[in-house]
Amino acid sequence: MMRRIIIGAMIAAIPFAAPAQVENYTLDPIHSFVNFGIDHLGFTTIYGRFNKSTGKGTLDVAGKKASLDVTIEAASVDTGDNDKGSRARSRDEHLRAADFFNVAEFPRIAFKSTNVHFSGDAPSEIEGSLTMLGITKPLTLKVDRWKCGAHPFNKRAMCGGNASGSLKRTDFGMKFGVPNIGDEVRLMINFETYKD
Amino acid sequence: MQDWLIHPVVQGALLPFLAGLVASALLAPLRLAGLAAVAGFATAVYLVVGFEFSPMTTIRKVMLLGLIAPVLGVAADFAFKPKRAMAPLVAVASGALSVWVFLAVLTQKELADALLIGGGIAAYVAWQVGFTLSLHEDSVRAGAAGLALGMGTGVAAVFAASATLGLYAMALGSASGAFLLVQMLTGRRILAGIAFTLTTGLLAGLLGATTYHLAQLPWYVLAVMAPVPLLARLPIPAKWPVWGQAVALSGATLTVSAVACYLVWLSSRGISE
Amino acid sequence: MKQIVAGLAFMLLPSAGVASPESYTFDPRHTFVHFGVDHNDFSTIWGRFDRSSGKFTIDRQAKTGTLEVVVETASVSTGDGVRGDRPRSRDEHLRSPDFFNSAEFPRMLYKASTVKFNGEVPVELQGQLTLLGVSRPVTLAVDRWKCAPHAVTKRMICGGNATGALKRSEYGMKWGIPATGDDVKILVTFEAIKD
Repeated sequence: MMRRIIIGAMIAAIPFAAPAQVENYTLDPIHSFVNFGIDHLGFTTIYGRFNKSTGKGTLDVAGKKASLDVTIEAASVDTGDNDKGSRARSRDEHLRAADFFNVAEFPRIAFKSTNVHFSGDAPSEIEGSLTMLGITKPLTLKVDRWKCGAHPFNKRAMCGGNASGSLKRTDFGMKFGVPNIGDEVRLMINFETYKD
Repeated sequence: MQDWLIHPVVQGALLPFLAGLVASALLAPLRLAGLAAVAGFATAVYLVVGFEFSPMTTIRKVMLLGLIAPVLGVAADFAFKPKRAMAPLVAVASGALSVWVFLAVLTQKELADALLIGGGIAAYVAWQVGFTLSLHEDSVRAGAAGLALGMGTGVAAVFAASATLGLYAMALGSASGAFLLVQMLTGRRILAGIAFTLTTGLLAGLLGATTYHLAQLPWYVLAVMAPVPLLARLPIPAKWPVWGQAVALSGATLTVSAVACYLVWLSSRGISE
Repeated sequence: MKQIVAGLAFMLLPSAGVASPESYTFDPRHTFVHFGVDHNDFSTIWGRFDRSSGKFTIDRQAKTGTLEVVVETASVSTGDGVRGDRPRSRDEHLRSPDFFNSAEFPRMLYKASTVKFNGEVPVELQGQLTLLGVSRPVTLAVDRWKCAPHAVTKRMICGGNATGALKRSEYGMKWGIPATGDDVKILVTFEAIKD
């Protein structure tokens, strides 16, 4: 009888013996944005952002593994010029058109991570691929800021931070306006995710 | 401790409630329990932004009047016996003062708009002051009016995009609740006086008007809040215990506030762009 | 005669010691004030003001300049402008009395009257920012500056980036501190067309 109890207890303890603790996180859409900057005629940088993105991630701090899966609504591009006034179109309308993001045909931009490097307990670099305008190319993001903890008011577990990177838009077939409107695109991302 | 002090519920409800409780309990023997209202309001102001009067913005004018009203009220309670004719006069004066409060924003508008909005605000403030003042001799009715005016205006303001105004008004309501609680627990009435009713009526009127004018409170919500001090006059059998009267009157006044808040909530669930 | 010729020749020499202040107007579609604020110590939230207008004058010989920019506070945009099911969006909250109080203070004004140069290039602006009725000194570092004819329109353009920082509590904007940061990073990207 005792043996059965011991064996039963050992079998029940097996799930707790596994060291990997994968946590699932969901991106908070009103506190996560992809901001980008592009050179304009060598004079200044024009910054914009995508107002709508969704995403999920997994984090295994003990096993030093993580993953990220983000979908950006291309039509939510916003550079502060959305009111055409007396012009044929505003800059944001032009960005949504076929010259740039062609949102009618490619409504979503997707980033999927392939490998995440850690520095201690925090992710330091996210290697992945970006799919935009039907083309997939590798993209690596550097994690500049990372913190996991409880939200000060609602006390939910969350991880948040900032990340940066850059890409060449011509790699994705977005060639309009180069070089007057820069090819190199700087990415500045701020994100907050809640544990599921 | 720092973290706890910056929590909105602590700033807008908990600490003002405690301030009102302490003021009501300690000052009742001195017939100054009516200062509970300003104690709650001042606590919230101190915690949220601190006392600063320069530059004199609209909200700071409201703050200033909210601190002056109880002083005038105490003077009125002790210096002379208020006559019934005084309430309408003070009400009209409050309405005129509200135009001063909103001058900076009114002058930015077209004359026709400024007159309409200024007139509406003056009328609302005058109404709340006049009808709340008339409750000065019945501390349970006054408390029930203050509770509903404060909580109603406060919750509505939070829905209408201004948490600061919401906390100030909820502080008023919380302190009024504490004022009522002391009476319910002791079974005895304590003097509300003009110190309490002028402060609550004026602040509720001005905070409601500020939320309408500077945040996104729809005008009709103010109209719905108007009956609150009237409902505080519901006939209640005098032989009911104090706590019974307090519960019944608060139930009536809070129902009106709940309707007002529901309307703001409905209006805020607007059509997405 | 020699004096007249010398005098004429002198007058014909381009900007020979004669002050030549130039005046530029900011192009509102390529000029934006961006800001970054810490959120709950987790991430930096970026935002910008979509509408601003202004002018500046510059005198490269005398090494002086002036600047005046008006920013419409109601045009604040942080990517969360649609409330959906919530009582308000973040942008609506920013326009409320808790933050910019745009109904009472529709405009923010920055006036600079001192410009530091490095050669003919401006590198620093010292001026006053008036926000919520409070005026305080704000210094902007000009990180990037270029003047050249526009590649397409051929009009003379001066453009660049400028950065600075301020504490919003000094202007009376205290709501949410410290959960929403007090320190505000400012980044101005601008292009101005010569008048």
